[in-house]
Amino acid sequence: MLERILSEVRDMSRRAVMSPVTFSLLFAFALAAAIVAVTGGDPLAAGEEMVTGAVTGSGLRNTLGRAIPIVGMALAVSVAFRSGIINLGGEGQMVIGGLAGTIVAIYVPGPGTLIVPLAMMTGAVVGALWAMLPAYGQTWLRLPILITSLLLNYVARAITGYLVRFPLSDVSVTLATTRQVPETARMPKMPIFGGVSLSLVLVIVLVALLWMVYTRAVAGYESQMTGFNMRSARYGGIDVEQRTVQVMVVAGAIGGLIGTHLIIGEALRFIDGELVLAGFAWTGLLVSLLAVNRPIPIFITGLFFSGLQIGGLAMQRNAGVSWRLSQVLQAVVIVAVACRLAIRRGERPSGEVSEAESAAVGEV
Amino acid sequence: MFEEIFDAALFDSATRAMIPILLAALGGMICERAGVFQIALEGIMLAGAFAAVAGSYLAVSWTLGVVFGIAAGMLISLALAYGTVTRRGDPIVLGIALNLLAMGLTGFLLPQLFDVRGVFQHPRIDGLDRIAIPVLSDIPWIGPVLFDNTLLTYVALLLVPILWVFLFRTTIGLRLRGVGERPLAAETLGVSPTAYKYGAVLASGALAGLAGAQLSLGNVVQFAENMSSGRGWVAVVAVMLGRAHPVGVLAAAALFALAEALGFRFQGNGLPVQITDALPFVVTLLALIIARKRFARLLDLTTAA
Repeated sequence: MLERILSEVRDMSRRAVMSPVTFSLLFAFALAAAIVAVTGGDPLAAGEEMVTGAVTGSGLRNTLGRAIPIVGMALAVSVAFRSGIINLGGEGQMVIGGLAGTIVAIYVPGPGTLIVPLAMMTGAVVGALWAMLPAYGQTWLRLPILITSLLLNYVARAITGYLVRFPLSDVSVTLATTRQVPETARMPKMPIFGGVSLSLVLVIVLVALLWMVYTRAVAGYESQMTGFNMRSARYGGIDVEQRTVQVMVVAGAIGGLIGTHLIIGEALRFIDGELVLAGFAWTGLLVSLLAVNRPIPIFITGLFFSGLQIGGLAMQRNAGVSWRLSQVLQAVVIVAVACRLAIRRGERPSGEVSEAESAAVGEV
Repeated sequence: MFEEIFDAALFDSATRAMIPILLAALGGMICERAGVFQIALEGIMLAGAFAAVAGSYLAVSWTLGVVFGIAAGMLISLALAYGTVTRRGDPIVLGIALNLLAMGLTGFLLPQLFDVRGVFQHPRIDGLDRIAIPVLSDIPWIGPVLFDNTLLTYVALLLVPILWVFLFRTTIGLRLRGVGERPLAAETLGVSPTAYKYGAVLASGALAGLAGAQLSLGNVVQFAENMSSGRGWVAVVAVMLGRAHPVGVLAAAALFALAEALGFRFQGNGLPVQITDALPFVVTLLALIIARKRFARLLDLTTAA
């Protein structure tokens, strides 16, 4: 009996050590250390700053705060990727929805208990509407969402840039920005870890909700089937077109929620270009890929990537090494994982990778 | 009104806008022909732009800058080739991750190596010389527009007929297309798909790297963070719209470049930058809608996978 348990533990630890994720993380950190050393930095000092910066002092609060948009955008990506829909438009959906929510927060009068939910809802609806453009583009016009959703990011940037520079501009400051969100319409902070935005609860609820939908509901099963194989899903009686639109609506709505949170909960002003600067949509995408689009691993991975970034900022302050190193680390992890063992966009039993996939890659 | 807008200066700025897109799209075209899905062009272009500026700064010579740009592009594309061809990884995942890697790496190296943020300008950075072709550059109107340009402009334009001949009139070109269209048949005939795919991806890396060099040493003489700003993605669309044919790709690249140049012009006429910046992307989307029947294969790849 004891022997069996021991061998199980040995097996598990061997699998963990041999797993492509472990290897990729080690590889990424080794490469990052080498880059720091080559460019004249001290990798050990930088690493120490990174770790302590992510968890000590205000680090933990900031890590939790930054995990909100990262996990949120990762959930948005995962909803689409699970169904085999390559939605690269998270950024645009976040920006457009975020501005819409901000407009409500600034211009609609009323008590905070009413305005904050109203702003969030507006952000979600507008984000969803923006996501419907590429969705219907694919179902009606057969334009690949991969391309259209991405191109629309630049259009969203332009539209919001124009709006905050002209009609919505706060003329009292030189920046291209909206007015400040009034105190009553801000997302409240919870009295934990020195003040974490209430949106963290929203994100946790989303994680739980998606986990339940994926594991318990018909819709989750159907969208997963669609991700495995769209043709057989259609043959099995799933309305793939309708499912595509639904999935994009959910993804866009989450993007709009996160965009609104980032303004009424963090920045308090919609400054032209600020929202895309941190690259939350893209970090979220990497998180979802690494977590194979599963909600609970997304939450854990999102916290980890958030810690990397917060630690990276501390490293920049104290060790003089640019926080962009965190972005390099994240991308290298994904490249390495993809090289070791093709990360797949939809979850599939690990057995049936080879033939179909190599054929798909070969025939493009 | 018409003559006020469509003058030689407009076509001059359109040519400048076209060359980086064309170079990257020709690279994407070779990959498409070899059956490799190449969406890392945006990142490769950015890395090429950065390396070109770095090389030019180090040697105070644009020649080395161009060499650096090519080398950086090939290095990133090597990762793509290894991942997709050797490891049979997902080309979309790898493409996205490599784009982000280039973004992070250039953003990291900029303050680390040159101690600046955002934009790197320096008198040591040697821009590409304009080389006037005798006689041809004296032709009124199109002479100065087309024949008084950087070396990379001529390379890009000459590559259109050269790649046409290569793809459709040489054995290697035939085999490359064979690898892309009928990999099994090609392999049966003793053609190694691996070698051809590696070659195609590395070539696309070199070309997108050149595109970056033209961007940072030709169009301007500086590196700015994320300066590829969507051009690599426009190049991906140009490959689709041009049906991976050199002439089609040239036409698509010219269309987007004209939209970008028109945007600049309208800016001069008082339209807000934010609106004119979106013009090439709106035109790209419209072109996609008009030519939409052509993307069945990409749609299959990205949906039925």
